[in-house]
Amino acid sequence: MRFFILLFCLICLLSCSYRNNTIKVKGSDTEVNLSVQLAEAFYKENNELLVSISGGGSGLGIASLLNGNADIANSSRSINSEELALFHEKKIELDSFIFAQDAIAFVVSDNIPIDSISIDNLSILLSGQQNNWSFLINKDLPINIYGRQSNSGTYEFVKHILNIRFSPYAKQMNGNAQILEAIKADNSGMGYVGAGYVMKGKSKGLKVLKIYSDNNAAVSPLDASKIASGEYFFQRPLFQYYKAGDYAKVKPFLDFEKTKTGVNIIHSSGYYPVKKIK
Amino acid sequence: MRTKKRERIDWIFKQVFKGTGFITIALLAGIFFMLFYNGISFFQKIDPIDFFTGNQWDPDTKYSILPLLVSTFLVAVGSMIIAVPLGILTAAFLSEVAPNKLQMILKPLIEMLAAIPSVAIGFLGIVLLGPGISKLFGIQNGLNALNGSILLAIMALPTIITISEDAINAVPKSHREASLALGANKWETLFKITIPAAFPGLIAAVMLGLGRALGETMTVLMATGNASAIPKGFLDSVRTITATIAIEMGEVPYQTTHYFALFAIAGILFIISLAINFLGEYFANNLRKFHA
Repeated sequence: MRFFILLFCLICLLSCSYRNNTIKVKGSDTEVNLSVQLAEAFYKENNELLVSISGGGSGLGIASLLNGNADIANSSRSINSEELALFHEKKIELDSFIFAQDAIAFVVSDNIPIDSISIDNLSILLSGQQNNWSFLINKDLPINIYGRQSNSGTYEFVKHILNIRFSPYAKQMNGNAQILEAIKADNSGMGYVGAGYVMKGKSKGLKVLKIYSDNNAAVSPLDASKIASGEYFFQRPLFQYYKAGDYAKVKPFLDFEKTKTGVNIIHSSGYYPVKKIK
Repeated sequence: MRTKKRERIDWIFKQVFKGTGFITIALLAGIFFMLFYNGISFFQKIDPIDFFTGNQWDPDTKYSILPLLVSTFLVAVGSMIIAVPLGILTAAFLSEVAPNKLQMILKPLIEMLAAIPSVAIGFLGIVLLGPGISKLFGIQNGLNALNGSILLAIMALPTIITISEDAINAVPKSHREASLALGANKWETLFKITIPAAFPGLIAAVMLGLGRALGETMTVLMATGNASAIPKGFLDSVRTITATIAIEMGEVPYQTTHYFALFAIAGILFIISLAINFLGEYFANNLRKFHA
């Protein structure tokens, strides 16, 4: 009897031993589905190294990296100076890797007779300086803006790249799908969503706008070749942050993301592979 | 020997019960301390006058609780306008008019209303109530304060009905008998004698219902549109304190002004719900004294 108890304790102790062959990835909810697919494909090729993925938001991912609860922080924005200061305080050196690109599509109701919009006009509409469509077209309709909630990386990104503050009257929806549903029902609505959500083709009641700046040609977010060459204005890199000291540990997974299988997964889930920067 | 053993067991149990009691108090004190410790760090960076008088909640530049406070009260008071008459009349019906058999069926059904998860009610707000409101009022989108008020009214109803019914039941039978003997009919007795006599209890019911409505998060987060401007009416989108905390907590950089700001507004909400609960308790105690 005593022997069995001893054996049991020993098994318990052994199973508690630290597993060094798991990479923990935490962060952006935008990237979580993509990361899960990459991790699954990675495991099929390399089943000695386990990659576990969880979401929670870019901020949470970076905080987890700081406390050592994650090996890789997925982030759809670059790390900010306040967070960077915390890493400096702990004397942790950071390194980052861009594994894919995301594009933001601007969507309006198909009742609105425009196909493209300039960046300047977008800033004016989203910041609430003009709140009627008569500003752009010959129609007297109040504009309803549907955006993401302020914890979303998409929200932050649009806000920063246009350098505006969103109109306080902009509605904040729970997710991309809810924005699309609202615009379908609302014939004066406009909003922004991740391009992956409108990639499958047109749906009824919606229109994806082309974007132009100054005198350049208007670019659609659905045009993968334009995104790869960096011509679309609202495209953003998706980052993976890791501690520089951990590079050897996370390298196999990062390398996998660059392979052909990885790139295919990235493209089929609605994101764009990274252009090689020369 | 046996007495000594028994005394010791008694002593141990006394300590155990004392301990469990103190754990609750310690938890409350701990939460209170954490909210206010972090809240104070916020007020060291932002002027309290700006906090209470500004008109915009726009983290990183403007921290004003006013639009959030107005939204929270708009939704909660709106829900009470719907739920109070409905709840009190239902309670009066249950205790005074309904036959026993119907009462046996209705009461558990009403309590089941409290068991619906708030996220399910929020979902109904998005897919059912939102489009309904937009059609009814001819507006483009139904995610607004009215939507939130209706949903919160549904959630506060079980609390209001249960406590109001207890209050009405607690009115002594002699009051009713005296009224009927004086020639008043059943309705006059109900509205002029029974309900006024149960009044402190009814206020307690409303206060506890209001507390429920103020603290609810998921439903309002899903169904009110979350626009952070000060609303002008029930058809504007609003953003409550609870929804703001839930939305922003996940993404806020640790230990920054924004992070402390969320603790500060949580502290304010805590004070408000504490005050409302105390008021409710106060009126409930009055009721007990009144009938004792």
